[in-house]
Amino acid sequence: MDHFPTNWGRPRNDAHDAYGTYPIAERPYNGPKDSFSEGVQHTQQPIVTGTSVLAIKYKDGIMMAADNLASYGSLARFKDVQRLHTVGNHTVIGAGGDMSDFQYIQNILDELIIDEFTAQDGHSLGPAEIHEYLAQVLYARRSKMDPLWNSLLVGGFKDGKKFLAYVDLLGTTYSASTLATGYGAYIAQPLLRSAVENNEDTLTEEAARKIIEDSMRVLFYRDARSINKYQIATITAAGTSISESNHLETSWDFAEGIRGYGAQTQ
Amino acid sequence: MPGLPQQRQFNPYSENGGTILAIAGADFSVIAGDTRQSEGYNIQTRYAPKVFRLTDRAVLAVNGFAADGNMFVKSVKQRLEWYRHAHAKDMPLRAIARLIQTMLYARRFFPYYVYNILGGIEEDGTGAVYSFDPVGSYEREACRAAGAAQSLVQPFLDNQIYFKNQLAAAGTSHPTHLPLPTVLSIVIDSFTSATERHIEVGDGLEMYVVLAKGRTLQGLEGIRGMQELTTTDDGERVFVVRRELKKD
Amino acid sequence: MSIMEYNGGSVIAMVGKDCVAIASDLRLGNQALGISSNFQKIFPVTDRIYLGLPGLATDVTTLRERFRFRVNMYTIKEEREIEPETFAHLVSSTLYQHRFGPYFIEPVMAGLSKTPSGGVKPFIAATDLIGCLNFAKDFVVAGTASSKLFGVAEGLWEPDLEPEDLFETISQTLLNAVDRDAYSGWGAIVHVITKDKVITRTLKGRMD
Repeated sequence: MDHFPTNWGRPRNDAHDAYGTYPIAERPYNGPKDSFSEGVQHTQQPIVTGTSVLAIKYKDGIMMAADNLASYGSLARFKDVQRLHTVGNHTVIGAGGDMSDFQYIQNILDELIIDEFTAQDGHSLGPAEIHEYLAQVLYARRSKMDPLWNSLLVGGFKDGKKFLAYVDLLGTTYSASTLATGYGAYIAQPLLRSAVENNEDTLTEEAARKIIEDSMRVLFYRDARSINKYQIATITAAGTSISESNHLETSWDFAEGIRGYGAQTQ
Repeated sequence: MPGLPQQRQFNPYSENGGTILAIAGADFSVIAGDTRQSEGYNIQTRYAPKVFRLTDRAVLAVNGFAADGNMFVKSVKQRLEWYRHAHAKDMPLRAIARLIQTMLYARRFFPYYVYNILGGIEEDGTGAVYSFDPVGSYEREACRAAGAAQSLVQPFLDNQIYFKNQLAAAGTSHPTHLPLPTVLSIVIDSFTSATERHIEVGDGLEMYVVLAKGRTLQGLEGIRGMQELTTTDDGERVFVVRRELKKD
Repeated sequence: MSIMEYNGGSVIAMVGKDCVAIASDLRLGNQALGISSNFQKIFPVTDRIYLGLPGLATDVTTLRERFRFRVNMYTIKEEREIEPETFAHLVSSTLYQHRFGPYFIEPVMAGLSKTPSGGVKPFIAATDLIGCLNFAKDFVVAGTASSKLFGVAEGLWEPDLEPEDLFETISQTLLNAVDRDAYSGWGAIVHVITKDKVITRTLKGRMD
């Protein structure tokens, strides 16, 4: 029943509208609305994206790196984006994939940490708990066919134990002493594995930094969605730290004599 | 169609390779799986367990889409804990098997993309293996392989466990159940063979052994690197044996 | 529908000590429907070379005749029997001539080649349907049950098997593999080639 009398329309007057041609205004619909008549819109593709994240175990803990670029398709759209994020006191996460989804994830994690802090129960969430939580969130979203379009690395150090694990938009998880997302899985992972496997407890911070930097450089040379500006995070017994942005030293001398690389004179 | 946005469907599934296998003995059960997790040609990790101890008498192996697998095991473990709290005992194996069927079928129209093999000891003390398809069809068997190298391993098991296509020598008959050391050797051979010919199989092997109540370790003392996972004193016992597989 | 699975069938060859074996199932089907349980897909090429042709049945017949013709021409021109290695390359190049419209056959060869000292050396080989050669030292497989054959053979085969042991190994491998393949089976045949004779046996297997 429409309870608005003005919507009921005028009674017809045969005196001047014998054939019912008087335009009756279209009545607004005041019944229940179906909000989903056009379907629910879900994320079907990532829009502004970050590329690879790298992480390794080393003597003192975990080292993680990601560059500062957020691309819009092939456009280098945002060149000062931070893709590493501290969660609590023992964990850093790094993200590839959709940056808006990542920033949403940062928000829910920050809220989670505040909730846990407010409890004041003497416990704090470690990397394993953060990773498990993320896996549950991402798996739940993929099960709703509304995924958070990211590949995430979770690195941490708590109670003398190193933690390094992966989780992605499907809810797939795994753990290893070296991890890399995106193009890093193809290009950097072999370099990281040969340097780190079986050396997790002896590799010095300096050596680890060099491996990471070299890998980031190779990625910059070959991944067209990367940039030569990146940050390194370390998570150790001393806590977490994310560096200022570093610039990669690159050399393009080799391109001089190669036709198709540099500027051609003829 | 004009007016409608063109949509690329999000695919909520993936395949993560690997193979699992279980064999039932007279009073024991062996449940095994390799530890490689891959996606396409990419090895994600060389150690991702696919075999899980549920109780002291039940072990579950899951293979297929790893995220679904892990989530499914988590749910089964939760249901088993609820059962413990309600009944102050572990759920019997055949009841776990039926539970798994109902849990899988509950997702009939958005399935867990996972093949399950449940191994352990029945209430009557016999070794048992239950195998499932992704939507819950199941049966009790003496042996089963599943996963990427199922087609390589299952016919080998038919031959070596069921003695298919073999005639017993005159006046003798084939054993219905093999001794534990023989079964372990067959499991190791199956996985080394599968590793040799299948790229998604390799890195490591985890074999869980469940022994019936009161059964001695006989024949198992010499097994290298065996680790006991039993939580109670006078019931069934669970062990895990780990072996390296080729990493190429 | 895959043409390679239209008629079904599988072949395997194995190396032994101074001997080789080649075996196949006997099924001819029209997809899931069984048509014949006596369809030969292994043929003698010379006294010491056997050739298995699993794949599309019409091409089995065509290629058998084609290879008979080409081996006869070779024998006439060269005035000697063809060696297994040479024959393998003949098979390969014949198939590669049809690179962009291939015969749907994956040939498997087994033979004994002569050594300079007057002895024999086991030889097996297989190719894909466009002639890519695979010279294996242990065993080769082809057909609809190939993945099963790989699995069982990898578990059962060992080096330097005597003829009777090789016969048992290849028979068990084939029988157990085809029993798990809907498109292969319905009986089997095994040839063991030794220095001075070829042992051919028809095997009794599951007929379902």
